[in-house]
Amino acid sequence: MDEDFGPITGAWDYGSLPPNVVVGEGCWLERRDSFDRFRSHQQPGLVMGDRVRVYTWTTFNVEPSGVVTIGCDSVLVGAVLMCADRIAIGERVVVSYNVTIADSDFHPIDPDLRRQDAVANSPAGDRSRRPPLVTRPVVIEDDVWIGIGAIVLKGVRIGRGARIGPGAVATRDVPPHTTVSGNPARECPPGEGLP
Amino acid sequence: MSPRFLPHDWFSEPLPANVEIGPRSWLYSTYAFRHYCSRRPLGVRIGHDTGVYSGTFFDLGPEGELEIGDYCTLVGGILSTAGRIAIGHHVLISHEVVIADCFAAVPPDASRARIPPADRTVIVGDNVWIGARAVVLGPAQIGEGAIIGAAAVVVDDVSPFTVVAGNPARIVGSVGP
Repeated sequence: MDEDFGPITGAWDYGSLPPNVVVGEGCWLERRDSFDRFRSHQQPGLVMGDRVRVYTWTTFNVEPSGVVTIGCDSVLVGAVLMCADRIAIGERVVVSYNVTIADSDFHPIDPDLRRQDAVANSPAGDRSRRPPLVTRPVVIEDDVWIGIGAIVLKGVRIGRGARIGPGAVATRDVPPHTTVSGNPARECPPGEGLP
Repeated sequence: MSPRFLPHDWFSEPLPANVEIGPRSWLYSTYAFRHYCSRRPLGVRIGHDTGVYSGTFFDLGPEGELEIGDYCTLVGGILSTAGRIAIGHHVLISHEVVIADCFAAVPPDASRARIPPADRTVIVGDNVWIGARAVVLGPAQIGEGAIIGAAAVVVDDVSPFTVVAGNPARIVGSVGP
């Protein structure tokens, strides 16, 4: 493979990542651009266990206050991780294509505050005038599978072994070993599995 | 056969040997084969006058097979299967569409064992239109002329000339003939 293509083929030096990124043994990170929006100031800001695979579509969009942890043997295919607080992903978790996981709404609900946020967040704006973010950590326990195009929102805990259906929007906790689908995500009736 | 390169390509890899692309068809880059593992005699066959544009990926497993007909347009969908996907003629596939063999599909080179390809085939009939961000999971047969709405999740067959939408996709209308 041509060395110029290393940053998009996984053949690049992971040692060039920010010092607050801790990568375990045998990890494979396909695309350096996955870290373009990694702005965490935490020590560490991202911890990856062993043998984690991170594919080209994944983005670590982490605010200065954010911390992301990923357990051993997890596969992140197309995860957009928007983190201002904490996103904790367990072991052997599968995150499929086009998934979004966010631990904040990133903007206020109140219309006046949201206008203030829009101005402060503009290209020439003063970011220090942004209203404080409301955040609630997201926890995804071991052996969870998150289906194609699903969205997991702030404060959600997905219990061990649960299945999130394709296109589902998880707004509330998902009990262990259950299957949810739809928008908002609801538990599938027993016997109605996922393809 | 000597390695075949796309004349306009920015990526350095040649086309896999078991790929056939018809006259006047366009493939944006061999980057589409980034995760491609098919060892079938013909892993991907693209007909004539078909456009495969930026962001489209052929994530086929070792036994994976993909057939795309003539005059199709794919503007950035992901085709992920250990089995078979067959797409007819005059088919439109929009942005961020995923056609896959498992609800939590992963690229074929991921260490997680894939679901066996048996009977996860997806067949997309002629003149089908698949809207942005829709998901089609095998086994499924999309009938001729059908329209799949944006972000629909299709887990069953879709009858010809029907319009489906929603998650899970349900019939919301019909078209022609």
